[in-house]
Amino acid sequence: MFKYNVKLAFKSMQRNPIMTGLMVAAIAVGIGVSMTTLTVHYLMSGNPIPEKSSVLYAVTMDSWNPLLPFDDDRPERAPHQVTYSDAERLLEIGKGKRQTAMFESSLVIEPIGDDGQPFEATARVTDGDFFPMFDVPFIYGSGWDSATDKSAETVVVLTKALNERLFGGEDSTGRQLQMNGAQFQVIGVIDAWEPTPRFYDPINGAFQEVMDMFVPYSVTRTLELDSIGSDWGWKSESITTFEQWLNSESTWIQYFVELDSPRDRSEYVAHLDAYVEGQKQLGRFERPMNNNIYDVMEWMEYHEVVEEDARVLLGLSFLFLLVCVLSTIALLLTKFIGKKGDVSLRRALGASRKAIFNQQIVEVAVIGFAGGTAGLGLAWLGLQGIDYLYDTPSALIRLDWVMVSTAIGVSVLSGMIAGMYPAWRVCQIPPAAQLKTQ
Amino acid sequence: MGFRPMMSSLMRSKTGPILVALQIAVTLAIVINALFIISQRVEKMDRDTGMDIANVIVTDVRGFGQGFDVVDSIRNDIDLIKSIPGIVAATVSNHAPLSGSGSGTGLRTVADETITPVSTARYQWSEEGLDALGIELARGRNFYPQEVIYDTPDMDADVPSVLITQALADELFGEDVDALGKTVYWGSMEPSTVIGIIGHMQGSWVNWDKLNNVVIHPGKPAYTNNRYIIRTEPGMRDELIPIIEQKLGESNLRRVVKNVRPLEEMAARSYRSDRGMAIILSIVIALLIGLTALVIVGLASFHVTQRTKQIGTRRALGATRTHIIKEFLLENWLITTAGAVLGVILTVVVAYWMETTFQLPRLDWRYLPAGIGILWALSSLAVLEPARRAASVPPAVATRSI
Repeated sequence: MFKYNVKLAFKSMQRNPIMTGLMVAAIAVGIGVSMTTLTVHYLMSGNPIPEKSSVLYAVTMDSWNPLLPFDDDRPERAPHQVTYSDAERLLEIGKGKRQTAMFESSLVIEPIGDDGQPFEATARVTDGDFFPMFDVPFIYGSGWDSATDKSAETVVVLTKALNERLFGGEDSTGRQLQMNGAQFQVIGVIDAWEPTPRFYDPINGAFQEVMDMFVPYSVTRTLELDSIGSDWGWKSESITTFEQWLNSESTWIQYFVELDSPRDRSEYVAHLDAYVEGQKQLGRFERPMNNNIYDVMEWMEYHEVVEEDARVLLGLSFLFLLVCVLSTIALLLTKFIGKKGDVSLRRALGASRKAIFNQQIVEVAVIGFAGGTAGLGLAWLGLQGIDYLYDTPSALIRLDWVMVSTAIGVSVLSGMIAGMYPAWRVCQIPPAAQLKTQ
Repeated sequence: MGFRPMMSSLMRSKTGPILVALQIAVTLAIVINALFIISQRVEKMDRDTGMDIANVIVTDVRGFGQGFDVVDSIRNDIDLIKSIPGIVAATVSNHAPLSGSGSGTGLRTVADETITPVSTARYQWSEEGLDALGIELARGRNFYPQEVIYDTPDMDADVPSVLITQALADELFGEDVDALGKTVYWGSMEPSTVIGIIGHMQGSWVNWDKLNNVVIHPGKPAYTNNRYIIRTEPGMRDELIPIIEQKLGESNLRRVVKNVRPLEEMAARSYRSDRGMAIILSIVIALLIGLTALVIVGLASFHVTQRTKQIGTRRALGATRTHIIKEFLLENWLITTAGAVLGVILTVVVAYWMETTFQLPRLDWRYLPAGIGILWALSSLAVLEPARRAASVPPAVATRSI
C-alpha cells in the first residue's frame, strides 16, 4: 500500500511540475536558511567539553580599584582575570584537583643554522595540568609534570599544524627549538583539538583557533614573556622592570581549577576567601570580599559567547521557515482542490477516507523529504558563505549528524504539518460529487 | 464592475487567500526589520573615520636574539621607509586606529581619584603621527620633535603635552568650554596640557560607543613589538606594500617583519560581523521576496486555469479584458492589503522583541510605509502576467464544455 502511495505521489507530483517545484523550493529555502542559522547558534551555544564542564571552573577575585568597580554596568562583577602574583600564589596553595594559570604570548622561532626564515608563533603559556584538565589529545609524547612547572624548564608542546610546518609531521619529541634566545625541547605534539567555543579563553576570543604551541607558565619570569592577550589595570604604578610588571595590580592571567565534584565548589571559594583575607592584611584587595568560580557553561554565559547577531538571525530565520510552511499549505490546498475529480472517482470506486488521507500525506512527506534534502545542500552552502564572510576557524563551521538529522526531521515534519489540513479537506470531497459535471 | 464575482470566488475558497495574506504578513515583518538592521549596519560602516584611511599602511616588526637594539632598529626603519619614493610620512605607534586592538585609559579634569574618569583610547606616536594617518588638527599645535623621545620599557617618562579629539574635549570639559590649553590628569594624577584639538578621528574599537574619544601623547614606543604607520601618496599604497616588506626584511635579518597591510583591511576586519550581518540579511530578504512573489504567481496561474470557464462566461456576457485584469489585480490587492495590515502588527511585535531582548534601537516608523509599498508593487507585478493570461481567455470557452 505504501509503495502504491509513493508511486501515486510521484505521479501526482509530475502532473503539476511547477507547483511541485515551488513547494520543494519553498521547503528547501526555509530549511536551508533556518538550518544555517540554527547550526551557527548550536555551535556557539554548545557545550565544548560535556564530560567535564561541571567540574572545571574559572576563578575570579576582586582585586580591583577600591573606588570604582571593574565593570560600571555590572558592579557586582570582579575582574575576569587575575594578577600574575595572585595566580602564582594560588598555584602554590593548590587546593583543587588540578589547576592552571595561563595567558597568550608569542615567541620568535629562530632558524637553526642558516637555513629558513625566523617566524613568530603564538603560544599558550600554561601549567602542565592544562593537558589532563582539558582532555587534550596527544599524537606524540605528552605534556609536562609539576616538577617542570616549578623548575622553569624550557620544554614545548606543539600543535599538529606547527609540527607539520617545522618537522614535516614526524615524531619530533626530543628535538630542539631556538625561541626567544633559549633552547626548548619538544616533549609532545597534540592532535587536532579545537573545542568550540574556546571555553578556556573566551576573553581573547571564543572562536579562535588554538595557539601554535604550549610552553610552561614558569618560564614567563625567566624569559620575560609578554602577553599578547588583553590586560586590564586600574592602579597607576611605576613599572620599569619586568619584575615590577609581574608584581603589579594589572589583571592578565586566566585561572582555571578542576574540582572533584560540584560539591567542592563552596569549599574552594572558602579557600579563595581565606587567601584574600591574608592579602587584605597586606593592604591589597580593598574592595568587599567578592570571589567567585564559574563552571564552563556559566563562564560562557558570563562572556555572552553566543553573539547577539546569531540570536537575531535565528529568530528571523524561523519566521522565514513559517513563511515557507504557509506558502506550502497554500500551494498544497490549491493543488489538492484541483484533484477533486480524481479523489471523487477513487471514493466512488470504494477508497476509504483514510486511504485518501494516507495517500495525500505520503505525497506531502515525499515533497518534504525532497525539500529537506535540497535544504541541507543550501544550508551547507550557507555555512560556506558564513565561513567566508566571518573568516572563522575551519573547526567552527561544520554540519554534524545532529544537524543533518534535525534538518531532515524538521523538513518532513513541517511538510506533514503543512499537508495535514489540505489532506483533510480533500477527504471531505463526497464520492461521485465531482463526477456529475463530467 | 467585477467586484461581486471576485468577492464570491474569494469567499468560496477562503483558506487559500487567508494563507497568502498570512504569508505576506510574516514576510512584511521580516523584510522591514531586516531592512532596518541593514541600514543601521551600513550607517555604522559609513561613519567618517577622520583619517586618510585609503592610503595608510600598517606593519609590525619584531626583533629577536641577543644584543638587538630596539631604538636603533626603529630609527633605521623609519629612515628606510621614508627614503622610499611615494611615502608621505611614517611613525612608530603603540597601536593602529580601527584595528580592534588598542589601549584605553581614563582622564579627569581635576586631580581627584574619587571622580569617575572619562574613558578614551590612547595613542602614542611621533610628530609625524597626524600626517601618517592624514588627521587634521582643528586648533592648537602638533608635537614638537624635541617633545618626542624613545619610550623604552625601563623608562618612566612624564607626559607634558597631549592632543585630544573634540569629542573627548566635549565630554571632559563640556561643549561650551575651549579645552585648548587646559590641563587633564591621568590615572596617576600626572597632569598634561592640551596643546591641540583634533576635529575628528576614530579610535580603536568600532563597537565602542566612545569610538571618537582619543588622546595622543608624544613618544616613540620602543617595546618588543614595533608598529609602524605609513602614509603613501594617493593611489600608491598597493604598489608600495611589497616594496616596504622587502626592504624591511633585507635591512636587518635579526627581525621578523609581520603583516604589512592596508589600514583599510584592518578596519574591514573590525567591521566583519556588521558586513556579514548586512549581507546575510540582504540574501534573506531577496529569497523571501522571491519566494513570496513566486507563490503569488503560482497560485494566480492555477486560479486562472481553474476559473477558465467562469472567465469565459463573463467575457461572453460582456466583460472586457481590462475588466478581467483589473479584477485579478484588485483581488490580489485586497489580499496583500489584508496581509499588510496584519503584517504591520506583526512587524511591531518583532521589533519590540528585538528592542527588548537585544540592545537594538527602536524601529524607525518610516520603514513601515516603505515596506508596505514594496509589497504592493511586488504582488501587483507578480499577478500581472497570470491576469493577462486570464484576460486572453476567449469568450467562446464558455460555450465549449456545456
